[in-house]
Amino acid sequence: MTSSIKRVILCGLGALTILSAIAPQPAMAHGERATEPYIRTRTIQWYDVKWSTEKISVNDTVAVTGKFHLMDDWPDAVHKPDKVFLSNTSPGAVLTRVESYINDMPAEQSMKNLVVGRDYTFKMVMKGRIPGRWHFHPMLNINGAGPIVGPGSWVQVDGRAEDYRHSVTTIGGTQIADTQNYGVARVLMWQIGYILIAVAWLLWWLRRPLIIPRWLATQKGLDDLLVTRTDDKVAAGFLVLILLVVIIGYINVKAEFPRVVPLQAGSLYTPPLPEAPKLVMVKFKKAEYDVPGRSMRMSIEVTNNASRPVRLGEFLTASLRFVNNTLPAAVAAVDPAYPKELLPFSGIVVDRDSPLAPGETRVIKIDATDAAWELERLVGFLTNVDSRIGALLFFYDDKGARYITSVAGPILPVFRKTI
Amino acid sequence: MTANDQAVLDAAEMSPQISRWSRTFDYMVVVVAAFLVISVTQIHFILLAGDWDFFIDWKDRQYWVLITPIVTIMMAAAFQAVFWNLFRLPFGATASVGLLLVGTWIVRLHGWEGLAYFPLALVVPATCLMGAIALDAVLSLTRSWVLTGVFGGLLYAALFFPSNWVYLAPYFLPVEHMGQMVSLADLIGYTYPRSATPEYIRIIERGTLRTFEDSAVWVSTAFSGFACIFTYMAFWWLGTKLCTPTFIPTGRRFRAAMGLGYGNKGAK
Repeated sequence: MTSSIKRVILCGLGALTILSAIAPQPAMAHGERATEPYIRTRTIQWYDVKWSTEKISVNDTVAVTGKFHLMDDWPDAVHKPDKVFLSNTSPGAVLTRVESYINDMPAEQSMKNLVVGRDYTFKMVMKGRIPGRWHFHPMLNINGAGPIVGPGSWVQVDGRAEDYRHSVTTIGGTQIADTQNYGVARVLMWQIGYILIAVAWLLWWLRRPLIIPRWLATQKGLDDLLVTRTDDKVAAGFLVLILLVVIIGYINVKAEFPRVVPLQAGSLYTPPLPEAPKLVMVKFKKAEYDVPGRSMRMSIEVTNNASRPVRLGEFLTASLRFVNNTLPAAVAAVDPAYPKELLPFSGIVVDRDSPLAPGETRVIKIDATDAAWELERLVGFLTNVDSRIGALLFFYDDKGARYITSVAGPILPVFRKTI
Repeated sequence: MTANDQAVLDAAEMSPQISRWSRTFDYMVVVVAAFLVISVTQIHFILLAGDWDFFIDWKDRQYWVLITPIVTIMMAAAFQAVFWNLFRLPFGATASVGLLLVGTWIVRLHGWEGLAYFPLALVVPATCLMGAIALDAVLSLTRSWVLTGVFGGLLYAALFFPSNWVYLAPYFLPVEHMGQMVSLADLIGYTYPRSATPEYIRIIERGTLRTFEDSAVWVSTAFSGFACIFTYMAFWWLGTKLCTPTFIPTGRRFRAAMGLGYGNKGAK
């Protein structure tokens, strides 16, 4: 390779580096597919998730609401939800958080001691700040386990970023027009002042012959020549100046802001939603994943203790909703705005799909076939140390009433159909 | 040029022409060293005390006050040792902490505000610059790293909180939000979400340490000062070791130019 080609390549790489550093590149995904399948299918199942709108203007709000179920078959490798924080994933602060709730309790701070096996409601209200089309997920951070991301939907924010305002009135009555830049001028004024003092100190020394002459003089032990009595006086002057600036500044600011509060750090507790009677019982029998066919097949034993006949309407795992398209109640339960990529077109195929009569027990087989298993990177259970799968099952009776139950068990990779 | 400057040049046995070249060399070294110091101090500080400085809702009365001085005095002491031992220049602390602040602002403006859309109110940095100047002044006055460690280390930590509170106090005004009282800093942290920084991950005041006006600040400051003394000494020693040439694998011409004599190549 000639040197000119090398130069061209080096220049190109340099230009790319500079461009990538200067040009902002918004994130189009948030790693929601990177989390291992055994975590996404066996910890938190998000359901009934709805976004209030797909399009807002700057300063308008969008709310995401829904429920989450903490799976009984919580993996050993994942910390229990002893401390959690309801949050969202979006590319930076393009949407700002207005309110968030778990079970209608303000979730501004972390929540503690969530109960595995139980359900909670959530609500998060976000306000448009930066125009653009942003992917917006609810997310539950679990202390020790990391974030578990819920389904994401695109939200269009129109308008101008300059118009965004977040105004606040403090308890003491101080009006803050916009928190984005509140106090920044004051910070800059003081820090530039400090830097000017520092520059003055540096220039006092840098104006002299520096590196080589001082090094040679140091080697000869001429310390008195290098740091003189005048330097002592200047150093003492700087010391006094600093002490005066800091002490007087501190006394003044204490008088200016007599009532301040520390950061609030406590966590809150909310009991789970009341437990619904387990009228439809499910016993896991067997599950397999057909690798070339991209098909998850599961065999379960269902007992109907309800007073009306029921049918399986939906198989939900890791926000993927496999709906029984032959059951109108299940189809009607799907919000049209639910992300299409999380709603496999073919849904589930249930053998022996006739209504399960009250008191009847039956083994049924579910076939959930779709490329979404691969696209959502949910087949990693073939390589995970804990190769199990979990899901929520939604049964519906002939009146449209819904019965939710969870199921979990080991999953086998296969290359031919066995069940 | 002052009489003292001329005396230094005379002591170095430099002709006027050589001294002009030496001055050019000074400028080059200062510019290159500034970038080096920015890089080193940035990486070091981000790794050891990053979050407390990144976000306004991490600046608590306990850990922020404790950790920031201890971490920043490390590089301050090391650079002070280098500049003092080699050149008797007592500005290593000011240079390292000042350049850290300059580098921090560049990153906050370009990366945090420009790329990640975080408002500046969320990511305003703190600084130990006042303490650093005091540390250099004490070294200049005492010419002793032990005394600088003891008195300068204490002063370095003691100046941190008040010198930053003068501009950070407004962020701790009480605000009502969703029926709860929070500080404005809490509210700013809540409003502008950071996906990878849940509330519980904040290592902030959660204990029961309360004294002196119902605040942990001065207790933390006192302990920080105590720790700064020994941290300073450890990193002064490290800086001294790192700036002591023990093996110079250079040719005779370089050794001659650097005034190292004409001894054996690569000798100790």
